[in-house]
Amino acid sequence: MAAFIVRMGPVLMLWLAVCVSGSWAVDRGNFKTCDQSTFCKRQRALKPGQSPYRALLETLELTNTKLTLQLINDNNKVRLLLELYRLQGNMTRVKINELKPLKPRFEVPDVLINDPPTEPLSLLSQDENGMVLSLGADSQRLIVSAKPFRLDIMEGREVLLSLNSRGLLAFEHLRIRKDTSLYQIKTKVNSMWENIKWVFSSLADPEGAEKKEETDAASEQTEGEEATKEDEKVEDGMWEETFKSHTDSKPNGPTSISLDFSLPGVEHVYGIPEHADTLKLKTTDGGEPYRLYNLDVFQYELFNPMALYGAIPVMLSHSPQRTMGLFWLNAAETWVDISSNTAGKTVFGQMLDYVQGSSETPQTDVRWISESGIIDVFIMLGPTPTDVFAQYASLTGTQAFPPLAALAYHQCRWNYNDQEDVAAVDQGFDQHDIPYDFIWLDIEHADGKRYFTWDPHKFPQPKEMLQGLEDKRRKMVAIVDPHIKVDNSYKIHSEIRSRGFYIKNKDGGDYEGWCWPGNSGYPDFTNPEMRAWWASMFAYDQYEGSRENLYTWNDMNEPSVFNGPEVTMHKDAVHGNWEHRDLHNIYGLYVQMATAEGLIQRSGGVERPFVLTRAFFAGSQRYGAVWTGDNAAEWDHLKITIPMCLSLGLVGVSFCGADVGGFFKSPSPELLVRWYQTGAYQPFFRAHAHLDTPRREPWLFGPENTALIREAVRQRYALLPYWYQLFYHAHRTGQPVMRALWVEYPQDTATFSMDDQFLLGRDLLVHPVTEEGARGVTAYLPGNGEVWFDVHTFQKHNGGQNLYIPVTMSSIPVFQRGGSIIPRKVRVRRSSSCMEHDPYTLYVALSPKRFAQGELYIDDGHTFSYEKQKEFIYRRLAFANNTLSSRNLAPGSQFTTLSWIEKIVILGASKPSKVTLKMPDGKESQLEFDFDASMSVLTLRKPGVNAGVDWTVVLQ
Amino acid sequence: MHCPILIAVVIWSSCVDSQKIRGISLSYKRFYRERKSFLCIDGSKLIPFDQVNDDYCDCADGSDEPGTAACPDGRFYCTNLGYRPHYIPSSRVNDAICDCCDASDEYNSHTACQNTCRNLGQRERAEVKSQMRALDQGLRLKQQLIEEGVLTWRDKQAQLRDLQRVLDDLQTQLDDLRKEDARRKKEVDALRELEIGALETEENSHRSHIMNESPVSIFYELDSNRDGRLSAKEVRAKLTDIQDGERVLSEDEAVALLGGGHHVDLSRFEETLWNSIRIGHNVTIRGRVPGRLVKGEPVLKAAVSAAEKAAAELKKVEDAYETVYMEIRDLREKLATDYGPEREFLFLYNQCFQLKVHEYFYELCPFNQVTQTSASGAEVSLGKWGSWAGSPQHRYSQMKYENGEPCWQGPTRNTVVTLTCGTETALRSVKEPGKCQYVAEFQTPVACRPALRQQGVHSEL
Repeated sequence: MAAFIVRMGPVLMLWLAVCVSGSWAVDRGNFKTCDQSTFCKRQRALKPGQSPYRALLETLELTNTKLTLQLINDNNKVRLLLELYRLQGNMTRVKINELKPLKPRFEVPDVLINDPPTEPLSLLSQDENGMVLSLGADSQRLIVSAKPFRLDIMEGREVLLSLNSRGLLAFEHLRIRKDTSLYQIKTKVNSMWENIKWVFSSLADPEGAEKKEETDAASEQTEGEEATKEDEKVEDGMWEETFKSHTDSKPNGPTSISLDFSLPGVEHVYGIPEHADTLKLKTTDGGEPYRLYNLDVFQYELFNPMALYGAIPVMLSHSPQRTMGLFWLNAAETWVDISSNTAGKTVFGQMLDYVQGSSETPQTDVRWISESGIIDVFIMLGPTPTDVFAQYASLTGTQAFPPLAALAYHQCRWNYNDQEDVAAVDQGFDQHDIPYDFIWLDIEHADGKRYFTWDPHKFPQPKEMLQGLEDKRRKMVAIVDPHIKVDNSYKIHSEIRSRGFYIKNKDGGDYEGWCWPGNSGYPDFTNPEMRAWWASMFAYDQYEGSRENLYTWNDMNEPSVFNGPEVTMHKDAVHGNWEHRDLHNIYGLYVQMATAEGLIQRSGGVERPFVLTRAFFAGSQRYGAVWTGDNAAEWDHLKITIPMCLSLGLVGVSFCGADVGGFFKSPSPELLVRWYQTGAYQPFFRAHAHLDTPRREPWLFGPENTALIREAVRQRYALLPYWYQLFYHAHRTGQPVMRALWVEYPQDTATFSMDDQFLLGRDLLVHPVTEEGARGVTAYLPGNGEVWFDVHTFQKHNGGQNLYIPVTMSSIPVFQRGGSIIPRKVRVRRSSSCMEHDPYTLYVALSPKRFAQGELYIDDGHTFSYEKQKEFIYRRLAFANNTLSSRNLAPGSQFTTLSWIEKIVILGASKPSKVTLKMPDGKESQLEFDFDASMSVLTLRKPGVNAGVDWTVVLQ
Repeated sequence: MHCPILIAVVIWSSCVDSQKIRGISLSYKRFYRERKSFLCIDGSKLIPFDQVNDDYCDCADGSDEPGTAACPDGRFYCTNLGYRPHYIPSSRVNDAICDCCDASDEYNSHTACQNTCRNLGQRERAEVKSQMRALDQGLRLKQQLIEEGVLTWRDKQAQLRDLQRVLDDLQTQLDDLRKEDARRKKEVDALRELEIGALETEENSHRSHIMNESPVSIFYELDSNRDGRLSAKEVRAKLTDIQDGERVLSEDEAVALLGGGHHVDLSRFEETLWNSIRIGHNVTIRGRVPGRLVKGEPVLKAAVSAAEKAAAELKKVEDAYETVYMEIRDLREKLATDYGPEREFLFLYNQCFQLKVHEYFYELCPFNQVTQTSASGAEVSLGKWGSWAGSPQHRYSQMKYENGEPCWQGPTRNTVVTLTCGTETALRSVKEPGKCQYVAEFQTPVACRPALRQQGVHSEL
């Protein structure tokens, strides 16, 4: 779905005409640069140097769970409170807030899945310059330097990470506006009030003495402020800020925060999606910082740090020695600067350093700046990529385990016009023998963009339509956006209004803005009562025309406000006690959270939900899938899908995809075919197209292209058991499904910047063809001493080499790692549900040491029974000593499947004389086999054993 | 006789086979005779016969598993007794979706499929029957329309000839009128020029104007001997060449000016020399400003009005010519349109067909244009007649209308009209599957083809 366009009121059209005029690229002028965002400008003006902050060591308090310490800014005497936690699983949490803020500062709720369990910290030594704390494991120590304040985390003699080492800790404390007469009165009243309060509390409260101290501290602070009043000049934009025609009233004044991190030995940092940029983050010296601010960007540009639809403030650092992560838990507008001491050096220069042995250690410095809230950083110390994923998962949860069908192919378009159209497209897939599981309806399906309703002319019988799809064991997704048409005859609107669930504007009225339906209200999804009510709207008796096979898509949840600043909500809009400014980036997460909850509830907690979202935040992985928004039918947009989804995978979001074919513009048949081939090997596989583009169902480009697309989609379906298993893994452990190569080959520096190919799990390497007119691609097969097998030809290639692969239009270069076992269902049917009971074929790719292992996960594919009743099959498949066996990995589980093992294909095998199948009850039988000597492929015919039982096959 | 026995044997053996070998048609039975082994139909592999339909794909061509879903590109034969037999992809065998109406594809999926072949067959036969009736009627109507078309064609040809004749007449008239018009115009121009010349001279001189004087006073001025007549001699004495004031007129010139005689009286003078003096084209009285005409003067006025009349006449005929010419061009264009091999679509010429779909009102004017009118009354062109666009075999099954109103940020609107056989001529549906890409169904008897009967009969099998 698009940012803005057509079929809106004339007012919007006019506005659009202004907005859209000219080229196809984003109108950058609609979005702020750091210079135009006054807090970013103020913070960035602060250069590295001596920090004004000093740790007051005498305020140290060390309990079993945390350490607290006050920091003072020697320039303005404002005190901060530092809280340090050692978290289980090799993490350290650093929280910094004002010691006595004028009013509470926002702390992001609902992102952490629990209060992270702590481990005790112990004080090793202390003097007037600082202290040394033990971080428990691995001789890790935390060094607190007092003046200037600085933290260093060390392991042995090696510094892993330093905080405030460049002195960029900055905390704009809450203050009373001084250029108004109100200030004078308030200060007087405040101090009077403090005195009165003290009198009363000391009488009534036995702990009055303590309170007194606090009061003293506070007044001391006030005095300090008074003393240094002159130092704090009021700059433009501190109390009001204007961008284009929008004024931000900023009632709380300047509130931004900043902190720097230094990473010695690190040259590669990743993450902080969403940006249309390379996998490896670039240095931002002399350019714009990476921006995190959920925005509906119309026709986004590639390879730049502009903000996009979602924001996950998590950065990973990687070197051959260690992988670490930084999670900056803040939902306000955020900017990230990255600099590196080696970035400017040429390869020759680096080599010279190496030869001369003289060079300084490479180091990456990172600086985070947020507009409001507090500093709350989780330092995930790894040391391996797997550890960092597990650490992050322990904080924010793992990828929701999707219904199996959601991993299959999705057919979408803005818009399938009516029921007949839906039926015709459904029929088209059957006629052309192309499988699909979901057909999608965009905004035009609703009655006047009133979500939860159906256009009475185009979709008069939604239930019949859904039943028609159900008859083919297929499903539908209908869009439900979070902007609600202001129309008193629309039930959803009148209920939200009467319950007071809308976000308020700065003056206390319901906030209204323009979106698809025209004038719209925006429900306050940060309110748990609102979310509960919203979830209840998905009940079958509330959402008229819905059925079990109808799922949901949340678009425009940045939120998109066509006539708002930067096409989003005014920052001074109000969510209960908080400003929109404080929580902007988490709004979209709440929308998806409430929607997913609705889908769970409507089934009585039985069925797994499937919800797609465009906006996201840390933790969004728990609620469903994301896609990369409104891309375009261009080759570079195809290429960027890889780094964009890889970046998301690194920070927890595995269920990622891009619009196959490109949303804007019309793809050439070649681009469309290549995009299907790429999308078939990416987690969320959905074709989508803009309303204004010509139709592009797979069979509209001639029989040859139809066949190519059919083949790509079929490869996806055959591999669904592996995809499902990878998602089960992601759900259990937080390991990404689609992986950057360096994740599995952390020592191999050649992989560190690689983003034109990727791994699925550990065992499949995909190098899709993304060049127009390509005759060949060069894939890097990692792993010295390893081997890889072409999954189509079974040809064996050595690892640790760049392999040139000639390609034709049908080529999708995919390799299976020697040493792995991958299950497939090669009987591809109309939809994944139709394949439920089909048998498995096991592809055993032997390592040079003639070893292989893999897994097999089976459950009912759509309910929570795997979790609640432990109804699943989870087996280890292992090949060693010429014996392949299936063993139960989850003894407590129980599930029966009708699926069986129909074929076993062993790659890199030698010819046996006899193959014996042995069952646990001692029964033995000989298996027929076929050996292809040219490719060393051994095919075992029809073992026929049930996929859920123990068995052994012995080659002799 | 041997024949009945032989037939009985064949029937019996095929019964045995069909129980054994699921998913094959009669014509393929010969490949599946029960023997010890089975040769894949592509000849690629020989397998034991008990591996046929054993739910494992042995043959690359899928021929060993006609009755299961084991082979990727296999096909399953639905016998569908009582209805049409057909193949389905073998991936639809036992997928819990009933595909064959005889339920034969779902023998092992625990899905209770009903045998619906009888009903389907009955319904289809009824449908085919009514379709055949409609087709027959359609074909009859088509024949009539073809005949009507022939008449219309002749009419149009005759009309074209008539128009051509009219055009030729008009051409002749035009030629004459153009000449006349040119002459008139020239005359007026000449008079105007004189007038301008006179004005210019007047500016340089204060001498009295001839034009302000009466013919009588000039006559007596020239009549030197006062005999009431002007002689050539008197003329030569007083008149001078207008270009060269010094040159004395010759005797002949003087005679010519007097209308050919040597003497003129007053009335003859007014008819002859007076005009020359007055116009001032050739001669003037020595020492006097030449005569000159102004618009107000009757001669010019008359000449102008005559010229205007001639021009008006010319315009009228030109307009008529233009109209007839356009009519001929239109008619030619229309006659040049491809109305089908038998000009069966000619009757649609100049007709329009309407259809209301929700808030929109669509109008198809075959061989002309398609339009859409919204409830608010705004009319949008969905395309102008382009060409026949059916497949090479059935060129006349689709029409294409192109270059309608452009779309916002997109191409121009166009419409593909599919023609279907029916007893009425009517616009049946209009849809917009892609933005600004319309498809319409247009039903008409002339889309009926005898070949459809074959298809109907075929599907009846």
